[in-house]
Amino acid sequence: MSEDLNQKISQFLDNELNHIEALKLLHKIQSQPELQDKLNRYEVISHAIKSDAFLLTKDDFSKNIRQKIQQEPFYLLPQHKSFKRSHKQIAVAASIVIVAVIAGRSLNYPSSNSGSASILQVAQHQPTEQPVNANQDAQHPLNKRINDYLQAHNSSVYTNGEANFQPFAKVTAYSQQ
Amino acid sequence: MIEVKRFLVVMLLSTGIVLAQEPELNARQLLMKMNHAMDVLNYEGTVAFFRNGKLEPMRYVHAADKGLQQERLISLNSPLREIIRNAGKVSCVFKESHQTIVDHRPFERSFLVDMPYNLDKMEDIYQFEMVGEENIAMLPSYVVAIQPKDNDRYPRRIWVEKQQFLPLKVVVYNNSGDLVEQVIFTDIEVKDALPFIDDKSIDTAYPARHIHQIQPQSSEQAAFVVTELPKGFREVFFTRQPIHNAEEPVEHLLLSDGFTSVSVYMEKKSAAMQPSIQSAGAVNSYSRVIDNYQLTVMGEVPAETVKSIAEGVKLRDLKN
Repeated sequence: MSEDLNQKISQFLDNELNHIEALKLLHKIQSQPELQDKLNRYEVISHAIKSDAFLLTKDDFSKNIRQKIQQEPFYLLPQHKSFKRSHKQIAVAASIVIVAVIAGRSLNYPSSNSGSASILQVAQHQPTEQPVNANQDAQHPLNKRINDYLQAHNSSVYTNGEANFQPFAKVTAYSQQ
Repeated sequence: MIEVKRFLVVMLLSTGIVLAQEPELNARQLLMKMNHAMDVLNYEGTVAFFRNGKLEPMRYVHAADKGLQQERLISLNSPLREIIRNAGKVSCVFKESHQTIVDHRPFERSFLVDMPYNLDKMEDIYQFEMVGEENIAMLPSYVVAIQPKDNDRYPRRIWVEKQQFLPLKVVVYNNSGDLVEQVIFTDIEVKDALPFIDDKSIDTAYPARHIHQIQPQSSEQAAFVVTELPKGFREVFFTRQPIHNAEEPVEHLLLSDGFTSVSVYMEKKSAAMQPSIQSAGAVNSYSRVIDNYQLTVMGEVPAETVKSIAEGVKLRDLKN
């Protein structure tokens, strides 16, 4: 019996056991400490035979590693849950409300703003397009403000429309490429 | 009488020979001739504007008669629009949205290139030089380089047509020599006469919105003082006008060295703002906060120049 187990351990280390036999052997090794020691020894011998390099480990090396792993904290990572249909509907409704509020404020803007007229706003002829761009303005207030300044600065906006101002560092990086 | 005419012809030819032998003098005189041609000739063609990485081809018409001028641009691509400059007024008709903007710009002359009439004062800051001859739109042209004598502004080149002295191409480069802005004719034709468009019919065709109806004020009334300016920049106007909305006027000081203009804007701080440089083509702007005001300096100058000017701006009461 002992000879048979030794042979199985040797075959296991040489990757000659099939999956079922390997599992049976590992179950036995797990329950018998002397087999674990034998496995370690055979592994060291096999490693020494197959390579010039040799790293000596203590008998309890794998046991210590297992204990260390068991001492690691257990993290409860959030699980991915698919959105319920009702949640999706609420999200869509909320988005529409936000766009409507922003668009409404922007559409009212010209009426209280007799002194200014953005080229981009005036150039658009389809009312349905306005909320989208008004929303872009809300997202990029700096760009809108600087475009207003550009329109007051010179008449180049009439020949090229609204300019897309970018941070200078980004523009410089593009130029260097 | 015939002898006198012969004498004048010989004189003119001699002048031409002398000009050809003195390239630097030729460059300045060529630009003066170009200035004159731009004002008095009737011409039309297709011109492409390349700015901010976008190419915009437009039909261009310049009509001149008895000292009056009208400049007209018609876009070839959407958004379709027609722009008419009459003296200091620019009317832009947006054909798709059925709206008109009437912009009051008394300090600008042309969509092609704003060239100062007197180049004598520019000698300290720019060097004018003839650098070659090239064909533009199949027309032989002189190439004139306008090189700044410092790094505070951009170099330019203008291609001037040899027969009529009209500008066929204008390019602005950055200080690394990269092209940042270009205006170029792809075809051009000089006519004996071209019709003027009645701008009143333009302004009333659709609901018109008048903007920038500025009343220039003394810059002594500004809340700020500009302490650092590159050589040659002078005040063009100062005004306090609504730019974003009627309730919040913005102080606007326009400065120019003749070729290059820089605007200084100051308004009440509306939100937290970090100092930042923004760029679009040849135009750079630098914004920062001074106490309860936000300041932006913008112009067709290098980023370092707008930053330097902005950092030299102080609140007037702080100075006094």
